[in-house]
Amino acid sequence: MKYMLLIYDNPDTREIMSGERGEGLMAEMRDLMEEITESGELVGTEALADPSNARTVRERDGVPAVTDGPYAEAKEHLGGYLVVDCESLERATEIAARFPNARFSEMGAMEVRPIMGQNGTEM
Amino acid sequence: MRKDARVEDLLRELAPRVLGALVRRHGNFDDCEDAVQEALLAAAVQWPAQGVPQNPQGWLITVASRRMTDQIRSEVARRRREDETAAQVPDEESVAPAADDEPASGEDDTLTLLFMCCHPALSAASQVALTLRAVGGLTTAEIARAFLVPEATMAQRVSRAKRSIKSSGIPFRMPPENERADRLRVVLHVLYLIFNEGYTASSGPDLQRGELTAEAIRLTRAVHGLLPDDGEVAGLLSLMLLTDARRPARTRPDGALIPLAEQDRQRWDQDSIREGVELITDTLSRSPIGPYQLQAAIAAVHDEAERAEETDWPQIEALYEVLERVSDNPMVTLNRAVAVAMVQGPQAGLDLLETLDADGRLAEHHRLEAVRAHLLEMTGDYAAARSGYRTAARLTTSLPEQRYLEARAARLGEDR
Repeated sequence: MKYMLLIYDNPDTREIMSGERGEGLMAEMRDLMEEITESGELVGTEALADPSNARTVRERDGVPAVTDGPYAEAKEHLGGYLVVDCESLERATEIAARFPNARFSEMGAMEVRPIMGQNGTEM
Repeated sequence: MRKDARVEDLLRELAPRVLGALVRRHGNFDDCEDAVQEALLAAAVQWPAQGVPQNPQGWLITVASRRMTDQIRSEVARRRREDETAAQVPDEESVAPAADDEPASGEDDTLTLLFMCCHPALSAASQVALTLRAVGGLTTAEIARAFLVPEATMAQRVSRAKRSIKSSGIPFRMPPENERADRLRVVLHVLYLIFNEGYTASSGPDLQRGELTAEAIRLTRAVHGLLPDDGEVAGLLSLMLLTDARRPARTRPDGALIPLAEQDRQRWDQDSIREGVELITDTLSRSPIGPYQLQAAIAAVHDEAERAEETDWPQIEALYEVLERVSDNPMVTLNRAVAVAMVQGPQAGLDLLETLDADGRLAEHHRLEAVRAHLLEMTGDYAAARSGYRTAARLTTSLPEQRYLEARAARLGEDR
């Protein structure tokens, strides 16, 4: 079963990660990434540029209206994602729980979402 | 590369035998498996153009052995460079043996390999990947495409599985007699997973995934040939045939799911049905009963009804009752509820669903809500049915199922 793990950052997250405390955290992240690559669970992952680079597009009166900044006006923003293919929701949650974003409240949170599949059973 | 179907079939059949011969000779499963893959690739390129050699199995063993020898030689050379004292390598290890000095035990090797690939120390995903590669002779790229993951991800699963086999020292031989029954259950489960992955794929762009059902049937047929007296092996093969027979009718061209009751039964594959029914009838008369046999028997009752209204629901209800006793699975109860509703009326089915609500294992499961909605629709409570279908549509993680459930809900909203 495939899951997307959404990495939600706080405004402070990057500062923490690039500071002294971040070094240990980065090493732990690298270990985690290595582990789920080696296990054949990691399908893909990307980091997103800072939300100040975001544009939001909505059509208004038949004309696309473009505004600067992210769609959701929240303190937390989507910093990146992973797609994992693993045995269970519990395992996906376990992977998510090891991100600093999940472990430290000042660094945001992780969200686990099942990915819709094309397989189905007739009822 | 895979254009010549005859060559392809031959290669798939020979793959486990060649690997078996190599592993018995060299002992190192990991390297042997790589060498066999290379030999299979070489054959897939050369044979269609140059013709199949007189002794194809011997050809593959020779080519794969040569790769092994090359590997050992370069390994030895490397070690020699690193360490002068490592020069004492037995001669036979560095010389490729002749092609045909192996006893012809290829068939047993298929089974031994299956047991190895489905070792309980491996994760289900690794068991599936390794079985398809080592026993099925598929390439990592083909397996990756079938399971919709990048090739690198699938390659990791294969190599992790092989490392686990190496590190846990699993020997290349049949498991001891007292473990064999349990280990065979794992093998059957892995074959069932492969079948299901292919069967539940929607048609259209995913046709390639459908080949997984053919591969699962081929492998299960091989196991049945080796263990003809095992009722559950026969049961699984029969279940696959009877289920796969309905594949041409289960989806619309756009991939939308068609429920069993609305399928065009003219499109069911009668040859598969005949074979599956014969197999399960024969098996039930002489083997101790098991879950795969019971599921096959249920599939046979469905497949034998020429029209949905002619389905022998009392027999299906009885079979589900037996199945419930031999396997503690709430999904079985859920299916029984449908049969109960068809025999005793929808309210009896709904009452049975309440025991599942109390049980809790299917809480928030879309199929429970979908069945409930279906039974509510049968009672004429369309408002409740509509909201049930919508709940189920929200809970499912399958796009075709979601489309189907939304369509059911919409249909109730418009017509009544």
